[in-house]
Amino acid sequence: MDADRDKGASPGAPRVDALDKACGRQRYAADETPPGCLLAGVKRAGIPHGRIVRLDTAAARAVPGVVTVLTRADVPGTNRQGIVHKDQPVLCGQRVRHHGDPVALVVAENKDALAAGLAAVEVAFEALPAVFDPEEALSPNAPLVHPDREGGNLLAHGLMEKGDAESALAGCDVVVAGRFATPAQDHVSLEPPNGLARLAPSGRLTMVVSTQAPFRDRFEIAQALGLDPQRIRIRAPYLGGGFGGKDGATVQCLLALAALRLPGRWIKMAWSREETFLAGYKRHAAVMDIRLGARADGTLEAIACAMCFDAGPYAHLSGEIMELGMEHAGGPYRIPHVRIEGSCAYTNNPVGGAFRGFGVVQACFAVERAMDMLARRLGRAPESLRLQNALRPGETSAVGVAAEPGTDVAACLNAALAHPLWTGREAWKQAAPAFTRRGVGLVAVQNAMGYGRGLPDHATAKLELTRQGTFRLYNSVPDMGQGNAAAFVAMAAQALGQPEAAVACVQPDTAACPPAGSSSASRTVYTFGNALLRACRTMAEKLRNRAALALLCDTPDRLVLTPGGVSDPATGRFVPLSVLAGFLIRDDRICIDQFVMPVVENPPDTGREFKLGFPHRYFTYGACLCGVEADELTGRVRLVQCLLTVACGKVFTLAGVEQQLAGAAAQGAGLALFEELALEGGRIRAGDLSTYLIPTSLDLPDIDCLPLPDDEPSGPLGIKGMGEVGIHGPGPAVAQALFDAVGLDAASLPITPEVVLAALEELTP
Amino acid sequence: MLDDGLSPMAGGTDLLVPGRKAAGRGVALLEGLPGLDGVAMTAQGLRLGALASLAALERHPVIRERLPVLAQAIACLGSPLIRNMGTMGGNLVTASPAGDTLPALLVLEAVVELASRDGRRHLPVAEFLLGPGRTALGPGEIVAAVRIALPPPGASQHFEKVGRRDALAIAVASLAALIVRDEAGRVVEARLAVGSLAPTARRCPSAEAALPGRRLDREALLEAGRRIRDEISPKGDLRATAAYRREMAGRLPLRLLTLA
Repeated sequence: MDADRDKGASPGAPRVDALDKACGRQRYAADETPPGCLLAGVKRAGIPHGRIVRLDTAAARAVPGVVTVLTRADVPGTNRQGIVHKDQPVLCGQRVRHHGDPVALVVAENKDALAAGLAAVEVAFEALPAVFDPEEALSPNAPLVHPDREGGNLLAHGLMEKGDAESALAGCDVVVAGRFATPAQDHVSLEPPNGLARLAPSGRLTMVVSTQAPFRDRFEIAQALGLDPQRIRIRAPYLGGGFGGKDGATVQCLLALAALRLPGRWIKMAWSREETFLAGYKRHAAVMDIRLGARADGTLEAIACAMCFDAGPYAHLSGEIMELGMEHAGGPYRIPHVRIEGSCAYTNNPVGGAFRGFGVVQACFAVERAMDMLARRLGRAPESLRLQNALRPGETSAVGVAAEPGTDVAACLNAALAHPLWTGREAWKQAAPAFTRRGVGLVAVQNAMGYGRGLPDHATAKLELTRQGTFRLYNSVPDMGQGNAAAFVAMAAQALGQPEAAVACVQPDTAACPPAGSSSASRTVYTFGNALLRACRTMAEKLRNRAALALLCDTPDRLVLTPGGVSDPATGRFVPLSVLAGFLIRDDRICIDQFVMPVVENPPDTGREFKLGFPHRYFTYGACLCGVEADELTGRVRLVQCLLTVACGKVFTLAGVEQQLAGAAAQGAGLALFEELALEGGRIRAGDLSTYLIPTSLDLPDIDCLPLPDDEPSGPLGIKGMGEVGIHGPGPAVAQALFDAVGLDAASLPITPEVVLAALEELTP
Repeated sequence: MLDDGLSPMAGGTDLLVPGRKAAGRGVALLEGLPGLDGVAMTAQGLRLGALASLAALERHPVIRERLPVLAQAIACLGSPLIRNMGTMGGNLVTASPAGDTLPALLVLEAVVELASRDGRRHLPVAEFLLGPGRTALGPGEIVAAVRIALPPPGASQHFEKVGRRDALAIAVASLAALIVRDEAGRVVEARLAVGSLAPTARRCPSAEAALPGRRLDREALLEAGRRIRDEISPKGDLRATAAYRREMAGRLPLRLLTLA
């Protein structure tokens, strides 16, 4: 097995799902439309906060082709969905709390009838005072989003402390202070939320959903609608992107409700792009106040950080996202005295939820910008201050957890410093064309892996030898495009000595696959991969033993799995897997094993508010270099260089790592320079793809990815999760690069041409 | 068909977008009508058929060679997919203040050929564009072609679109320029037009008047820029504020310093 640990997947081979996706053959949830399927759609509030004073569905019901119109009165169960905190109505009965809140569910025979039915739902509101600023929401006189709730608009609050930050700051030679802000962000998955549901006469509810968490969805639906979770079956085909936006119910409860009321009928719901903007979850906007103190020689002494997250009107995972943000607020640095306070406020803005980077994007921008401020104050180069304070293995992180052994953040920074984009930067800047100013920035990043303490980060893997002698692996963690299914096939093929073509992959299905946690938290390949490799080992041992009978070999350990069979190197004899499989009953052809991610053994005595998810044990580190060009006439900024160095354990497939890093960096670049929901009174003004601008291929450079030699002994084949770490760098690195280019000291994102032009005017009055 | 209230469609990349919300809008496809397609050389210059796709125009050797301001404008319009479907006539009739080809057509002093069952008439582009989405098209009339006289071979042509990204962007501002200089480098004739800075794409006569007799130096171009600021009436929208547009519009002519 040790030799295997050093082998990646066969280099250059396309991932197993590539051809089907490139040819349009891959079936997504959106592609499934059974004959006679009805369509469901949602009437949404259209105001930020109000009481429903009249809801009349008679006209809508009378529309030809409308099958039913459902309201709160039709919802059994608690009518409350949510992952940890259950506070989000499936259908609003009395009160709406944001523009996208659902007030009625229309089911119709076709699109036109659905549109006419939705238009015919009559709803009248009494407008209520609303609150759109999370800090204002926490003031005593703010309108209450949930009036009966103890604690008012303060959804969650937490504190992480180490040492005595206040005293230490008072004694620092230098202290810088800044207020930093990051905006809400839409995931813009190619495939919007959608799904399909049917209640069978047996009472079993079957669903096909574009979801990151099919196993957990059952409980969320069951709780909201008063159902038995064991009577719900969910399939999750490949997703056309998720990024966190499909972690938690989107269409699930609404579809299930429609299915309950129309037994025996297939019902489909597919959000449009506009509806996804309106009703889908968003990355939390956040405001962060930081004071960072150091000795005159640059040694970091203390940080105090207060983070305030805009949760929107429902909890979703806001508290958990805040937790992770707080845990990363000290950066990958050695800081003895730390005080990080977090608050999440209910507002009448769109609902905050999971998004790649999960609170860390916000924290990383703030702490990296504070490091830049400190470097400037000390007259130090930004990269040297980071290197000086880079957290080393065994040292305690800002929140008091010992860093695991492995390649560290200093190595990531040093690799970037040795790269031609860095060593050649002065010449590159001097070669700027007319009216162009160039700048380069370099920041350090980190991202925790897994759920953290308190919530078992588990997966169970099932592997079947088919009667034909091939293998079928049951993936329990949805592949939203990140390539985990392909990685699982490659891992299993390698572990079983078979070509990838001999390993089929069943996508998550709660009726066929054993349970696993969600596709999230940079955990997917690590946790499920470990479970899968255990199942593969059991399977391989079983096959050697059974083959030993056929080969009359009394030392099965000398047998090896070779393509299509088991061979005895001593005799050259071979028994085909198809023959072996024929002798096994089905139970015997299946191996199931599981894995739970190890947790921090002696957690620090802080962050006590966080029963779930604090602290994390494993971190992936990286550095991000961005080279930008700012146009002197227009203030337009182009990201023209981007390098990511990472320490993410061993590399199993280089292409897989590069795709994740480049995709994450592109999303980070969007946050840095383009994406803006333009909220006004809780309404998204940029609510479609002609106004909400994500970067196109012309707006992004080729992204250089450099994974460093590393090994995580607990990981499958030595890997660590790395699906998120690439998103953090572009924001602060672009900001630093723009300071280098035009002297702009950006404290918030996105950085617009207007702000850059204003900075240029100061340079050339 | 036009009498029945159908909208003539020449590509549909703009026309069909609102259709997602207003279902059932009828369109009359102009494809197949004779004389609306292709590029023809005439004694007076080029005749660009209204249905010529933007991609075809972008590739056309004479346009690339003699009308680079138009080729550059088309190259930054939408995306390759939109340029494959979108047409010259469609971009004109949409009459967006941000229409990418319009400033280029203005400095080329292009003439719109309008056709109806009553015959044909010709209007300069500046007279064809009346306001946002409003044109001088009469009832039952369509755009048949755009006629452009070839500018003198030595004329410098320039187009810049300022968008929030490099593809699929609606212009925040744009500047088209056509400059004729004498052998000493002094401006003989200057034509400047802007987009996204007024209710229609428009020429800037006062700024143009600042240049003849001068070299294209920083001072002259800054003066032209100041005059552009006085000639425009930018609005703020999601893409940019009015103040930013005004400030930036005055700087854009400086790019002409990079003209060969």
